[in-house]
Amino acid sequence: MERAGGPLVRNQVDRRTLLRNAALLGISVPALSALLQACADSPTGSGGGGGGGGEALKIASPDNPVTWPISDDNQPIADGLQPEKGPLLLYNYADYIGPQVVKSFEARYGVDVKVSTFNDTDEAITKIRTGAVPYDIYFPSYDQIARLVTAKLVRPLNHSYIGNLGNVWPTFQSPWYDGEAHYSVPYSVYTTGVGWRTDLVPDDVAGLDNPYDALWNPSYRGKVAVIDDWHTAMAMVALRSGLTDVNSGESADLDKIQQGLTDLSNAVKPKVTVSMYNDLPSGQLGISQMWSGDVVNAQYYLPKGTSVDILRYWFPEDGKGLVDNDLMMILSGGNNPVLAHLFLDHMLDEKNALKNFGYIGYQPPQNAIDTDSLVADGYLPENLATAAVKQEWFDVAYRLLEMPVDVDAEWHRVWQQFKAGA
Amino acid sequence: MRKAGRKPGNRLLGPILAFPGVLWLLLFFVAPLYVVLAVVFGGVDPVFRTVIPVWNPVLWSSDQPSYVLSHIVGPDGFFGPALLRTAVYVSVASVLCLVIAFPIAYYVARLSGRWKGLLLTLLIAPFWISYMMRMLAWVNLLANDGLVNRIISLGGVFPGDTEWLSGKSVVVILGLVYGYVPYMIIPLYAGLDRLPSELVEGARDLGAGRVSAFWRVTWPMSRPVVVASVLLTCLPMLGDYFTSDLLSGSPATSMVGNLINETVLTPGQTGQAGAFVLLVLIVSILPMLYYVRSVSRSEGSMA
Repeated sequence: MERAGGPLVRNQVDRRTLLRNAALLGISVPALSALLQACADSPTGSGGGGGGGGEALKIASPDNPVTWPISDDNQPIADGLQPEKGPLLLYNYADYIGPQVVKSFEARYGVDVKVSTFNDTDEAITKIRTGAVPYDIYFPSYDQIARLVTAKLVRPLNHSYIGNLGNVWPTFQSPWYDGEAHYSVPYSVYTTGVGWRTDLVPDDVAGLDNPYDALWNPSYRGKVAVIDDWHTAMAMVALRSGLTDVNSGESADLDKIQQGLTDLSNAVKPKVTVSMYNDLPSGQLGISQMWSGDVVNAQYYLPKGTSVDILRYWFPEDGKGLVDNDLMMILSGGNNPVLAHLFLDHMLDEKNALKNFGYIGYQPPQNAIDTDSLVADGYLPENLATAAVKQEWFDVAYRLLEMPVDVDAEWHRVWQQFKAGA
Repeated sequence: MRKAGRKPGNRLLGPILAFPGVLWLLLFFVAPLYVVLAVVFGGVDPVFRTVIPVWNPVLWSSDQPSYVLSHIVGPDGFFGPALLRTAVYVSVASVLCLVIAFPIAYYVARLSGRWKGLLLTLLIAPFWISYMMRMLAWVNLLANDGLVNRIISLGGVFPGDTEWLSGKSVVVILGLVYGYVPYMIIPLYAGLDRLPSELVEGARDLGAGRVSAFWRVTWPMSRPVVVASVLLTCLPMLGDYFTSDLLSGSPATSMVGNLINETVLTPGQTGQAGAFVLLVLIVSILPMLYYVRSVSRSEGSMA
């Protein structure tokens, strides 16, 4: 973070800088608003979800990797400390960690582990910021890392506790979003493609020139869903229209996406949901935008007597689709930093990671996992072999990135319009 | 107001009795409303894009509410359809609720005789199960291979393949009716039960037929309670979002509750959620005023 001028110009610090610095210092909301009112002019806020400039955040991307600094007042823990007595508090999506793996950690260190859940990461970050509960470990997506680090909500890692980080794919030893893994370790990797059932969708979706088009096929009206996440859904619309910049700030690109969403609404009246892992196997949906982990889970939700053979998943074979990964991070507000490091190490252990994969359906980026053998090893049925995530895809696939504030607001506006059913 | 004949102790009794109510109103209505205002007219944190409430009205900015207002009608009016949809859904559902609830309440209150106690218990029974559970039950019943389709198909004779849960307005409206009709029956019953039967008997004695006695005596007397019951069901329907979420899940049936739910969770748009809340509040104040007026008028005429 750069300081806004030396002592001589300190009095001229403008509102925005004050706001930013206050936010960065972790000043709580009431205090911040009091500060704001101390300023003479009226707060501009963000009109219509639109905002001022977006200089506040450094935005990482594969072309512009970022190594987050470790500041003096937020240092990693020392080497060789004794673990705390717990209880260790995890903050995670529901059903996103295997109970056996948690139990084995409890048994190994003689502590309690408590899991709290959130529905989406925006909700999570709001609660973390209040500091009401001293969560130790948080499972975000990489697109929150800039905000988490900037506001010092996360603690830098001491790698001497996390020897198992060596088990993960080389890409994630020092990922572009967190150089040298200062603050995060990877938890899961997944692709975003199209899932369908062969009994309700006669087309060979994977064989189409543009498989995404199947979601726009009016003959599947009422049986289609897209993921209820603005960026994931809109990025898919972009890819379908031939755009490859899924974080574009160009208004022409955004217009195209908006048109795509309107066409989608008119053609198939899609559901916008995150429960496709249940709705597809139950027959409510015939075809859906899907995360690879969810299509893996879908096999367990099939009604009795329905064969798993009907499920299919498509992701571009050349890897030019959407790939994602989730992280584990240690929150600075937690009471058990040493124990938290040990937990990270526990989860990155090869056997534990595999056991966890068996429960959550989302693949860990472990070197030991041979993506070609997942079918043979019984983790995936043969017809869902396409749901295996390959390491090399992470070199060519498209990534959802954090966006400058004004661009982000524009994307949200288009999504809001789509969701309003206008 | 009578001035004379009050003991000094009585002067305190009124305020003492009013105190809990006033405190309640201040704590749970006035204060939260002010927070909503501070959010609606407040700013946004530049890093997290969360809302920063502004407590001083002098510094309020009208960006968020004016954004909402300017996108209701016109070429950019993408909120308009959802608002219109809400109005239609809630009106239709309220009318249906009334059509269903009035005869039931009337029967229980005036015609059921010794079964009254049992019927009343049965009317309260739906409250034993949460609204959410009752809606989730419908999700199963209306599923493509659910009971409803199986019954309609009469064992495969007819094609029972209606996709009830794929964004159908009818299903959402019926869901609202099903969910809120108990809230209509109970107050209607309470009101109808208290109507003085002497007046109806008097009308009959004076030569009015059953129908005429109903129209000229019972119905006018029950109007305030009907308005109250409709309001009691309308207001929660206006803020309802999970009926549409559960029974449709498609933007094609988005209501204002969905807009609120969606914006309040979106970074940078929380102020808009507050603006929608205010919009609903203003719209619902109008019938409220009508209700207050009609009640005070009818009490005046009855006294």
